[in-house]
Amino acid sequence: MFQLSTTTVVLLLFGFYGLTFLMALRIGAKKENVDGYMVANGAIGFGMSAASMTATWIWAASFYAAASSGYKYGLSGALHYGFWGALMILFIYPFGKRFRELAPQAHTLAEIMHARHGRSSQMILAGSNIVGSIISLMVNFTAAGALVAVLSPLSFIHGVLIAGFGVLSYTLWSGFRSSVMTDFGQLMAMILAAVIIIPMIFFTLGGPQLFTEGMPRLNLEQASFFSKTAFLEQGAPFFVAVLAYAIGNQTIAQRLFAVREDLIKPTFITATVGYGAIVIGLGMLGFLALLAGVQPMDGDLNNLIPQMAATYLPPFAVGLLFIMVIGSLSSTADSDLAALSALVMTDIYGKNLARGRPNPTTMLWVGRLTMITATLIGVIFASMKLDILSMLIFVGALWGAIVFPVIASLFWNRVTNTAFTSAVAVAFLMFVVTRFELVSLHGAMALFFELLATLGGGVVIGLMAFGFFGRTAGLALGIVATLVLAPFAIGHLRDYAVLLSSLTAYGASAVVCTGVSLLSNERFDFERIGERVVAFQHSDNNESNPEEKEINACPVSL
Amino acid sequence: MSSFALTAYVLIWPVLATMVLTVLCIGLVRDIRTARRTGND
Repeated sequence: MFQLSTTTVVLLLFGFYGLTFLMALRIGAKKENVDGYMVANGAIGFGMSAASMTATWIWAASFYAAASSGYKYGLSGALHYGFWGALMILFIYPFGKRFRELAPQAHTLAEIMHARHGRSSQMILAGSNIVGSIISLMVNFTAAGALVAVLSPLSFIHGVLIAGFGVLSYTLWSGFRSSVMTDFGQLMAMILAAVIIIPMIFFTLGGPQLFTEGMPRLNLEQASFFSKTAFLEQGAPFFVAVLAYAIGNQTIAQRLFAVREDLIKPTFITATVGYGAIVIGLGMLGFLALLAGVQPMDGDLNNLIPQMAATYLPPFAVGLLFIMVIGSLSSTADSDLAALSALVMTDIYGKNLARGRPNPTTMLWVGRLTMITATLIGVIFASMKLDILSMLIFVGALWGAIVFPVIASLFWNRVTNTAFTSAVAVAFLMFVVTRFELVSLHGAMALFFELLATLGGGVVIGLMAFGFFGRTAGLALGIVATLVLAPFAIGHLRDYAVLLSSLTAYGASAVVCTGVSLLSNERFDFERIGERVVAFQHSDNNESNPEEKEINACPVSL
Repeated sequence: MSSFALTAYVLIWPVLATMVLTVLCIGLVRDIRTARRTGND
């Protein structure tokens, strides 16, 4: 298989990270504002924020998994990966508008939970966010190592180390601001590469003639646009996770708090379309590989994209693909670093260790030390070549346990801290029991979990409808969805442990959260959230002293 | 599905991505103009 030379790869990597570092330097301030370090100025424009949301949500695994899905499930495979992934961005924005309305100066969603319920709910959400971001960081560093190992003579560990320290170098000083600033350039590189690579491979394989020759290779399910197998094995578990990934991911929350409030809707709709177009487009490479009869190297579907590029593209286009994958993993890794620093700065240091009275200078260094520590953890674990992506899929399903309690807490004034924590604990337990089949899924026990999962399906649909159309539509569609799902789920869902466990988490958390809340007579005043969630630093160094910024625009000149 | 429809199905995504890139570039230019006009970062 074709490989880029060591010199070419080193030049590409150092060129990419060098240019990114220079972009980040343009916004560096001698004294960064702690709020700016976490959520920028809270009024980022449409172009920057939409590009940042798109680039952040596209990571290396998006390309590999979409292509694997296209190869495995045929015609509808790439859609069942990219479409539902895109909806994760779309369905969170109505709730994001509520987050901003309640707490305009928030830095993390867990911080809002602290104001709403107190420490235990806050730490449940912050903890799940931290675990998700650390695993995501490991996946991205692993992808860098794998790409370098496949497309160059350099080793896996070289790729991991260069990506890890490359991303840290440009994110460390200005945090979230660096991440957003560099996302635009990284996304442009990704789109330009995708726009060149997809048609190039398609026409190299024979263009429209490929369908005439290749369609007979597909089985009935692969040739169907409405494949039941593709929906049940790829689409449905992903659809169920739409709200879970969005709520469980601080990188999305951070952008909801950073974009200008009136631009949340256009920003997230554009990011939805951008993500879908790029990821589904690259997923088509898997479908083309299936049509062409390509066998994945070593039987590993993750090798499909590098293999297709190395086999059918000229060297310059292989270099483009290399930059595209490095850009995708870097834009997500820098967002994970910024998310982790915000979580530790706000939820561990600011709200707990400093008890709401943090020292801005100390807080800033807490954020930077978090980034350094997270990078080291990411690099070390990535070097172990664990099956980290499976871990993230597991955690993503687990996030289903927190979706209903989080959303209900911000709309319904009767939800209590006890309701929140008990709902998450019970849902977590139910998820683990069904996911690992710790009880025999037969007879009455299977029926119990299927009923709970059916209700969970109604909760998912109901929450999605509620976000866009309000309470009445949400309740109505939730009930209709439950009734429609029941005959399909009862007696059948026990054979799909992944789907059963995910839906059970939603159902259990909704039942417990609602039940415990109704037992209480407490009424919460939502005005108190805005009073409790405030900026950590009132004097903005960037604005109050523009001369200092001009003189010290470069942090390395300190 | 005909070969034409399948070709469109494969190639529509890079076209859509190009349109998104155009929208984002226009958005960026407007962001820069707004920042210059208001004097904000």
